[in-house]
Amino acid sequence: MKMLFERFMAISTADPDDTRRRRILNILLVSIGILSLLALAASLAAIFLEVQRWENVKLLIIGSIVTVLGMLIIYLINIFWSGRVAATIFLVFLTLVFAFGDTPEQVSDGRSLFAFAIPIIMASILLAPWLSFVFGTMSGVIVSVIAVSIDRVPNIPAIAGFFVIALVSWLSAGNLEQALKELRDINLNLDKVVVERTQALAESLARERIEAGRNQAILNSIADGVIVFDRNWNAILANPAVRSMLEISRDQVAGKNFRELIQQPGLSPHGRDLLYAMMEHETQPPSFRIEWNGKTLSVSAAQVYDMRNDVNVNIGTVAVFRDFTREAELEKLKSTFVAIVSHELRTPLNAILGYSEMFKETVYGPMNEKQVNMADRIMKNTKRLLGLINDLLDQAQMEAGKLTIQMGPVKPAELLETLHGLMDKTAADKNLTLTSEIDPNLPDTVNGDAARLQQILVNLVNNAVKFTEQGSIRVRLWRPKENKWGIVISDTGDGIPPSEIPYIFETFRQVDAAATRLHGGFGLGLSIVKQLVHMMNGEIEVESVLGEGSTFMITLPLVIPEKVAVRRS
Amino acid sequence: MSELALIIEDDEDLANIFAEALRGVGFEVEHVADGKIAQERLKSGSAPFLVLLDMHLPHVSGGQLLTQIKQDERFANTMVIITTADARMGEAYVNQADFVLIKPISFVQLRDLTSRLKPKDQS
Repeated sequence: MKMLFERFMAISTADPDDTRRRRILNILLVSIGILSLLALAASLAAIFLEVQRWENVKLLIIGSIVTVLGMLIIYLINIFWSGRVAATIFLVFLTLVFAFGDTPEQVSDGRSLFAFAIPIIMASILLAPWLSFVFGTMSGVIVSVIAVSIDRVPNIPAIAGFFVIALVSWLSAGNLEQALKELRDINLNLDKVVVERTQALAESLARERIEAGRNQAILNSIADGVIVFDRNWNAILANPAVRSMLEISRDQVAGKNFRELIQQPGLSPHGRDLLYAMMEHETQPPSFRIEWNGKTLSVSAAQVYDMRNDVNVNIGTVAVFRDFTREAELEKLKSTFVAIVSHELRTPLNAILGYSEMFKETVYGPMNEKQVNMADRIMKNTKRLLGLINDLLDQAQMEAGKLTIQMGPVKPAELLETLHGLMDKTAADKNLTLTSEIDPNLPDTVNGDAARLQQILVNLVNNAVKFTEQGSIRVRLWRPKENKWGIVISDTGDGIPPSEIPYIFETFRQVDAAATRLHGGFGLGLSIVKQLVHMMNGEIEVESVLGEGSTFMITLPLVIPEKVAVRRS
Repeated sequence: MSELALIIEDDEDLANIFAEALRGVGFEVEHVADGKIAQERLKSGSAPFLVLLDMHLPHVSGGQLLTQIKQDERFANTMVIITTADARMGEAYVNQADFVLIKPISFVQLRDLTSRLKPKDQS
């Protein structure tokens, strides 16, 4: 019913003001039409019931029919043609009805005077605000003409009243129109903004989806395992590679804390310690290896920082896992191979060394000087070869992880005594003096691996002898700090060029090829020393002045053995 | 009668060199190249004045032989010199043996050491 009414009243036009006016006009037309039909029905009923006679209600019946027809015509004009034309006709019709619907006396100066206010007000609403003045003027003229036609003076105050009504109508309709217009503008702008925002949002969402999809694709396709952690080490993201590498399901990693994740039984305890250390330290080691479900994984972690107000804020960590199993196996294989070969090489060399020494010592009868000299050369070269093989073996053991450090009580005095026993002759052969001293504030017993410390001392002194042509080699054991002890080995040799210092601890490095030929050896010694020192949690540094000599300084943690014993018990 | 030195060493050349050094000092030398044979030899026969014991032997290790020697009262006066290429292993046995020599062992070194050990009152 309501829909039918809505359809009946519906106006199709683009101009909202026009629509509004035409809808109001429709409402007026319909109501007046209905009123006229009711009046017609009442009149006909009166005649039918013989309450009134035809002559008395003739005018009313004709008027009603004319009104209904007029309203219908105006309605059709309003719907199908023009609201303005319809409204004009309607208002003119209304004014004429009021002008001739009553006696001239009543119209010019009586009850019908007020009826003219209706088209004046309507004009401002239905047509345009200023048209209320037109209809005011028209009503004034009609009223005056009718007054004059019956020889009366026009009612000036009433005519003035029309203009006042017109003025008020003009003002209010104008304001109403303005307000509606503004409201419409606001709505229009709002619509525009909403459309723009919606579009922007849709675009950025699409962009983000594309980007996220691309990142996800990259992450999914790389062979390395990646886990992204937030600042509290909760896993935000884990790619498929890491899940298959660590043999964990999506549920086992997503949103889980790293501490929980590393409780997996497949992880070696040592690996767990390393991962804990990774979590606890701001600065990460470049990479380290862990054993997980029989695999060797190389782990590296990088902190992610966000620059906010010029301050780096740690927002999480990206941990990358790489399957290193095959490489580790190959390394181990290589080291085992080297170890076996070294052993096999050493055995015959030991024999050569022994036999040539027997020659030199003329065990089987006297030899001439040249022969003795030759035996000596055989011995020296064999020793050189043996030294190299020993270094290779150490290096191989270190790489295979077989070389371990056994910490225990060490007596500095014994270290030096053994050193002199081993190296005095070597130094004396080159007319060098080997001196040593122990600082009085160094305890009688320190903590370390005695055999490895001895190896370090021998290697460094050997190195010093190698590169010193005259002068001395000094060994000093001291206590640079309350909780440190150190070894200082100084020589008066050639020194090391500053540009070479950063590389002297590298495997197979010696300052120049000529020096290698002159001094023998391949420079494995210093590399081994450095690795041994690091295994004992120590540091090694070198200072050198070309032509004056070099000083190697080793600093090691000083743990008084008694304290260690107390802690263990 | 000269003192007996027992060389337990699987490398024939080294055993030769050691034997030569010991003979040079005046020892009577007996050589065994296998851990198992050494084990049998130590169960019977005369107690040597000195044993030159290699740690790395076929079948029975030098460590086991060392334990056997230490447990047998007949060897109470026998000196044990351990020879090994592994400094770490040498370190481990330093308290059980009289001497530990790290290979390569110099002919002169061994000759001088055993010469000092050999009783001087004889011959």
